[in-house]
Amino acid sequence: MKLTSLLLVLFGLQVSLTASPQTITFSGKEVRLEKLFNEIKSQTGYLVMYNYKMIRDAKPVTIAVQNEPLPSFMQRVLNRQSLDFSIHNKTIIIKRKPEPPTGETNTQQPTQPLPIDVNGKVTDESGAPLSGATVKVKGTNQVTSSDAGGNFSLKNVKEGAVLEVSYIGFVAREIRLDGKNSMPVITLQKEESKMSEVVVIGYGFQKRREVSAAVASFKPTEENSRPALSADQMIQGRMPGVQVSAGSGSPGSSNRVAIRGIGSLSATNEPLYVIDGIPVVQQNAALINMGENMNPLALLNPNDIESVEVLKDAASAAIYGSRATNGVIIITTKSGRAGKSKFTVDYTTGIQQVPNLHKVKMASSEQYLQVINEAIDNFNTQNNYLPGSTNYMLRKENPYPGLPDTDWMDLVLRTARTQSAGFSVTSGTDKTKLYISGNYLNQEGAVKTQKFERYTGKLNLSHKLNNWLEFGANTNFSYSKNDRVPGSNLGSTIMARSLPQRPFDRPYKPNGEYYVGGTEDLVYHNPVQILNEENTFINSYRMLGNFYGNLTLAKGLVFKSAFGADLTYTVDNVHYNEKHPYGTGVGSLTDARRLASNLLWENTLNYNKTFDKLDFGALAGYSYQKLNNSTSSIEGRGFPSPAFDVLSVASEITNASTGLSESALLSLFGRTNFSWDGKYLLALSLRADGSSKFAPNNRWGYFPAVSAGWNISNENFWRWQHTQAKIRASYGATGNQDGISSYAYQAQMSGGMNYGLSSGIGVTTNGNMNLTWETARQFDVGIDLSLLKGKLNITADYFLKNTDNLLYSKPEPATSGFTSIISNIGSMRNTGLEFLVGTNLNIGKVQWSSDFNISFIKNKLTSLIGNDALLIGDNRTLKVGEEVGSHYLYKQLGIYQDDKDVPESFYKNGVRAGDVIYEDIDNNGAIDVNDRQIVGSSNPDFFGGWNNSFRYKNFDLNIFFTYSSGSEVYASYRLTVDRLGNNFANITERAVNERWTGPGTSNSTPRAIYGSTWNTQNSSRFIEDGSYIRLRSLNLGYTLPANVIGRLKMTRVRVFAQADNLFLLTNYSGMDPEVTSNFDPQFLGQDNLILPQLRVINFGLNISF
Amino acid sequence: MNRLTFITVVFCAIVFTGCTKLDFYPHSAASPDNVSEKDLDPLMKGMYNAVQNFPGRESYIMYDLVGGNLTTASGGNVLAFIKNIMRTDYSLVRQDWNGYFRALYQVNNVLQIMERMPDTDKKTQVAGVAHFLRAYIYYNLTTRWGDVPLLRVNTSELVSRTAQAEIWKFIEEDLLAAMTQAPGFITGLNGDYYLASREAAQALMARVKLAQGKNSEAAEYAERLITSGLFQLDRFEKIFRKQDNKEVIFAFENLTEESSITLSTLFYTYAHPVKGSYVYKPTDEVMNMYEAGDNRRAMSIDTYTNLDVINKYPSGQAGTDPVIIIRLAEMYLISAEAQGLNGLNRLNELRAARNLSALNPSSVDEYQQAVALERRRELLAEGFRWYDLVRTGKAVDALGIEPFRTKFPVPDYERLVNENLGQNDGYVF
Repeated sequence: MKLTSLLLVLFGLQVSLTASPQTITFSGKEVRLEKLFNEIKSQTGYLVMYNYKMIRDAKPVTIAVQNEPLPSFMQRVLNRQSLDFSIHNKTIIIKRKPEPPTGETNTQQPTQPLPIDVNGKVTDESGAPLSGATVKVKGTNQVTSSDAGGNFSLKNVKEGAVLEVSYIGFVAREIRLDGKNSMPVITLQKEESKMSEVVVIGYGFQKRREVSAAVASFKPTEENSRPALSADQMIQGRMPGVQVSAGSGSPGSSNRVAIRGIGSLSATNEPLYVIDGIPVVQQNAALINMGENMNPLALLNPNDIESVEVLKDAASAAIYGSRATNGVIIITTKSGRAGKSKFTVDYTTGIQQVPNLHKVKMASSEQYLQVINEAIDNFNTQNNYLPGSTNYMLRKENPYPGLPDTDWMDLVLRTARTQSAGFSVTSGTDKTKLYISGNYLNQEGAVKTQKFERYTGKLNLSHKLNNWLEFGANTNFSYSKNDRVPGSNLGSTIMARSLPQRPFDRPYKPNGEYYVGGTEDLVYHNPVQILNEENTFINSYRMLGNFYGNLTLAKGLVFKSAFGADLTYTVDNVHYNEKHPYGTGVGSLTDARRLASNLLWENTLNYNKTFDKLDFGALAGYSYQKLNNSTSSIEGRGFPSPAFDVLSVASEITNASTGLSESALLSLFGRTNFSWDGKYLLALSLRADGSSKFAPNNRWGYFPAVSAGWNISNENFWRWQHTQAKIRASYGATGNQDGISSYAYQAQMSGGMNYGLSSGIGVTTNGNMNLTWETARQFDVGIDLSLLKGKLNITADYFLKNTDNLLYSKPEPATSGFTSIISNIGSMRNTGLEFLVGTNLNIGKVQWSSDFNISFIKNKLTSLIGNDALLIGDNRTLKVGEEVGSHYLYKQLGIYQDDKDVPESFYKNGVRAGDVIYEDIDNNGAIDVNDRQIVGSSNPDFFGGWNNSFRYKNFDLNIFFTYSSGSEVYASYRLTVDRLGNNFANITERAVNERWTGPGTSNSTPRAIYGSTWNTQNSSRFIEDGSYIRLRSLNLGYTLPANVIGRLKMTRVRVFAQADNLFLLTNYSGMDPEVTSNFDPQFLGQDNLILPQLRVINFGLNISF
Repeated sequence: MNRLTFITVVFCAIVFTGCTKLDFYPHSAASPDNVSEKDLDPLMKGMYNAVQNFPGRESYIMYDLVGGNLTTASGGNVLAFIKNIMRTDYSLVRQDWNGYFRALYQVNNVLQIMERMPDTDKKTQVAGVAHFLRAYIYYNLTTRWGDVPLLRVNTSELVSRTAQAEIWKFIEEDLLAAMTQAPGFITGLNGDYYLASREAAQALMARVKLAQGKNSEAAEYAERLITSGLFQLDRFEKIFRKQDNKEVIFAFENLTEESSITLSTLFYTYAHPVKGSYVYKPTDEVMNMYEAGDNRRAMSIDTYTNLDVINKYPSGQAGTDPVIIIRLAEMYLISAEAQGLNGLNRLNELRAARNLSALNPSSVDEYQQAVALERRRELLAEGFRWYDLVRTGKAVDALGIEPFRTKFPVPDYERLVNENLGQNDGYVF
């Protein structure tokens, strides 16, 4: 029986659409139920299903009716019985009446009036029907949801019952029935005030009005959706203080997420991600370096996300203690809801390609040869080399005169196709709730052969065993296959091996073989050969799940024990066949694998109680998290043919190794919240973390925080009825242990230093027993305002964050035996102002809501142990008083217009008119390290996003901009393409046209000269303004009218067109100023010819049943 | 199940499952304090690995790069190429400096660890090897930079440079120790030239003496090896194709799985059957320096699809080749050079082995020029040319460099973190 009804519920989707009720005419005394049911069948054709045991003890019925509608007839029949019924299609199911809940035994009064059936309609303020609104009879299990036309009906409702009507994004209402069975139209008001939203915080949630810390949140909807592969990509530009920068346009590649500036120097400054309660470890999803990192978050389906909360200040983040310095991002996935089952299907398909290619236009053969030969002539003339002398350079010629130029970018790029299809089921009763989803995604990359495919599945389930025990699970499964191409940090990088090729060169010889790079035939690797002759892919399998039990010990006191696991198995293969430049002539294969396991056991005790005007909440918890990384990597060469791609056929295993590392974190934490009369808020929290990464005496860190808030608008003296205001302030400490190895404090005598096939050992690190947490102390003050009945919402925050004991791999003199040692080296400060302005306006019939955010964040290094400045890399520095991420370069002052202007010491070194003038700060007649200076920073002055959504009748339009201003990009790719003859790479048309050819011709671009590196040193010549405004997303949707889709048995159908990255407004001369080859904040903002972010155009469909 | 059982089960589980453990140790490493006598062999092999790998692949051909033997594969001016390397901020200069000192740390570390161990034959042999390797490291350091910090024991202090004369003394001291403590080539090593022997120490001593102009001693050490009967001149086809030969005195085995010295890939083109990244090519001078009939030529250089390549390290991309540190031909050349005209027969013996006719030079100058040319041909791409020019005072003329470029610049990164390190004259900063 139960199974039957479940199936009927799942598949009998037209339950609420039954045709007009049948009627019964019948009279009889003491009639047995079986007989009555047979009568119903013969009169109406309705089949009555029952369990014989159930009706065996039922009382016979005496009844006389004329044209009584079937439902009310059934009511009469079963009125005094312990039985209930429901009608599905043309079937009546008889079931036992639910046991009345304990303590409410007097519900079935004999004097109770007869139940009635209720019909009604739910709309928004403009009168548009709301489909899928939940209508529940208060205090019972009776629940339904509105159909496409907003209509609903409920049967057997007690007179005088109260209906609860709710819909996401709208203010819920309660309506008393008063005996009427037809309701007026129920109008729901859009929830405009942010104050009543519920926000997720660490180990719990709170009403926005009760939050006294700085927490930002984003709820993805169909209307604001973007083709984001991952959660971090999705929140780009959505929240103040949260800066998300894309690494590249490769599908599945990493993004950089910075919360409130640069939190630390080590690693990538990633915030802590907590997904369904599990703090996950962000590890590069790729194992083998192919020139760019891959994003582990891309392994999860962003469509399953209900909300993303960002804990920005110390008060909100400190509950995550030693990992929270860079902020915490809490990702909550969708879960089931009591009510009618909802089934949705989404499909999206589109195309994507590299935009703005025209911005980096390369020289034609003619232009190229003109400049190169000018460079060679200058070289010969300047050095007095005459034809015949050893050093005399011959001019270059086009080896294929008459043939058209090669468009190298066209050979490797394409218009790629993308598609995604998914479904979800949301369902539930008061006891059991479930959410199931599945998704398939296939994104081709803009570079040929590049592809990201992903299959995800999700099941969130919770069940109440009884009134004190609940069990549940949140699970995510995914499999993805990422066909990679070499990124910008690899020698075979596609972009930088295509763009600077000489224009007359070609990929194929007339006989069909490849021209090979690094020879006279081709300056660089043949990118076509690289793409065709390699097979590089990552297979990732991820299971992220959380299993929990909730135990209610007493009213308001809940104990929760949760076991979480995040398991990722990665197989990364790089197979170069015999024709590939790296194929060693016989084919080579690297097979790297990793099993990363992150196990968490967490126990919390939650207590909530209201004492008169005081709301009190307390949390205490214990957690133990264990991380394991087990890796293997095998390399082999020698394959009979490219078709063989496993190492068992390799003729030679050239390398094989496995690794294992473990670390653990033991934590105790607690928090109390007080709210007096909704006016005064106070929260205190403390976390103690013990980490295996530190020596036993430095192992424990304590992270306290306090925050307070004042809802001024709740005071009696507050007169502005339509304005709500809250002031908040917080202070607290968070830590960071990221970016250091599992055993960083231990001196290690490591194996693997073998010689002559016998084992060797050597000291690989001296360890640092003093190593300890990096600690940030953050002060935050903010205000939340809701004006004009919620039409205008403003949140403003100021913060000051001091980070001490910065963890850093400090450079050491090599004479110590090590070139660096991981140490706590200094302090830095971030200060910032953040604003979020939201408006909700109706202009005629157009609803317009807009969210604008802007952040001004300033970073400064405040101390550095031992030194005032550290030189890092070729063009950066860490200097007290300056920003982390400062560009530290020679400064170009101009171009020497005459040989006479060139100082003697430079002239001797071959500098002439037309060469770059660098500032010789110390005037020592040499351009050296002491002449480097800070000429910019990769951090913006301000950045943010602006989202606008419009709704008119059935149309919705979403326009979303992101912007950033004041950062400088080091366009290091120009060191190659603006060389003007120092090597034989092709040159940008811009450099060709702007180059110095005689006095007065240019004061920025130097002359063409072969054999001199003077003009291509790291200098401000390649620093560019990285400010931009980007039309991040444009989304136009149309929801089909209810009367159309009602016939299709659907509740909602929306079709949409979406475009991503449609235009980019910037002064930057490259394709995209927002890319970066390195995510370390010290090195951010360097463009070594990275695949830019793609332009995407999508069409799609959202259907709900 | 009632509420209390539930909680009890959870708390018991925390205690019994050990969900409080915070001590974890690496699986691929041990604490240095736990090293004992039984670890002497791994400690010794660890030294070989460090000295072979840490200085980086270019360190083995550095003197060819700045000595006019090799230039960038894309072609161009040789002098510009040399000047570009000899910069305070050039990565290869830093790589050499860092690498030799990091290797030195491992060697000193072994010597320090052994101090607390009882004396055994094994300990003596390992000490001998350590002294040899340390002398080899310091030879490379002082020939590049002149004055360098002298570290008998490891230190994390900011050290300053010691005068070159002291360094030479220290090297000789180490070599003398190696000559008594290291295993004998036949008696101890059974002729395995991939391990350091007393004979290797003698050979290095000959080189060290020659560098200091102590010609008679240099000749004496060289002659000792030539006449020992343990080694004899052999064919390049064996020496540079990893075949058993009688000529090599000491080489790093440089097995692919133990090595980061991928020297061979620097020399071949992607078009070549073994493939390589073709970073450096022989200069025109080198391509033209061999006489007709020289049986070294084919194994030393080659021209493949019109591109000139070095042919001494044949693996290309496919793997790595042994790196020969000292072989008997060098002893012939040291003897010939150190004895002046009296060494003519050693020169002609070598030439005969290389299928060349005997010379009869008329003057000392002409003779020494012939020896130098023979050295250049014999030891091409084995890391000799620049220092040969420097120690014979010919570098400025032969290469066209400024006199200050007869020493390497101390890397600026090192000087930024160690204010006590001076710079060589001529290099600004």
